[in-house]
Amino acid sequence: SGTGKEGKGWKRFQSYKGEVGLPKEVESLRIFVDRKAQTVILPMNGFAVPFHINTIKNVSKNDEGEFTYLRVNFQTPGQLAGKKEDTPFEDPDATFVRSVTYRSADGHRFDSISKQITDLKKEVNKREQQKKELAD
Amino acid sequence: MTTQFDKVYHGLSSQAGKFRVASSGMAWKGENDEDVTLVPSDQIKWAQWLRVARGFQLRVGMKGRREVFDGFERDDHDKLAALLKQHFSVTLEPQEVSVKGWNWGLTDFKGDDLAFLVSNKTSFELPLHQVANTNIAGRTEVSLEFSAPSSSKKPSKSAPDEMVEIRFFVPGQSTRARGSDA
Repeated sequence: SGTGKEGKGWKRFQSYKGEVGLPKEVESLRIFVDRKAQTVILPMNGFAVPFHINTIKNVSKNDEGEFTYLRVNFQTPGQLAGKKEDTPFEDPDATFVRSVTYRSADGHRFDSISKQITDLKKEVNKREQQKKELAD
Repeated sequence: MTTQFDKVYHGLSSQAGKFRVASSGMAWKGENDEDVTLVPSDQIKWAQWLRVARGFQLRVGMKGRREVFDGFERDDHDKLAALLKQHFSVTLEPQEVSVKGWNWGLTDFKGDDLAFLVSNKTSFELPLHQVANTNIAGRTEVSLEFSAPSSSKKPSKSAPDEMVEIRFFVPGQSTRARGSDA
């Protein structure tokens, strides 16, 4: 369906080729960061839902009473008001997942997950930057 | 004759159990529970097979309801498909899921579920009966808040991560017109 619609400069990426690629850890129904696949896998109603790091904008975390909340924010169109988008989109008219929030009683684990996602994002951004510099 | 599958979960249950198939129907019983979930043969309308977090899921459609059982292994497919055919004359239909890792797609209402489809394959489904609150912000953002069934229990560090909210960005006609410079 992407013909003619594909945003300029949008580069195709994919987490896994098939469900066989999903790591064993998804069985725990907990968030898992698969660094090798540059992917964060979220448990959603029993599904293991991968999100490539390129779709993720950032994560935020806060503690409320006995629980820690972790929010994953995604790249979507329409986030930079009055500014031309930096990030191109394959299909800007699609429906986008913008954020998903989880809670856990294990704050230490959410600390670690938050750090893993942020580090993976940094790593990928750095690599992209290096590629750009080499291309110039 | 009864065929048994071990370590099967009923829906999102944390408790594993035994799943049995016989000509009279299907049944699930938890390891630490006396209650039995029954799927009588004369009520079975359809069956689906799809990849979920805990292995593979058997979904059974009945009149007005459905039951899901997680935890099957990839290799259980052929055996289960043959049993369903033999006992209930039902074909076990494989449903492909998307593992592309994209956050864009289409939403689709399927009965009591909201499905998110990526390239026409299911990425995830959310049970609408568990939505406690919805919000629409700025005409293009829809949020769904989920009631936490476990909130009455004492928080446990070993519990699965609990999804409490999801937000969708839904570009409306108005944004499309405004954003279009083509």
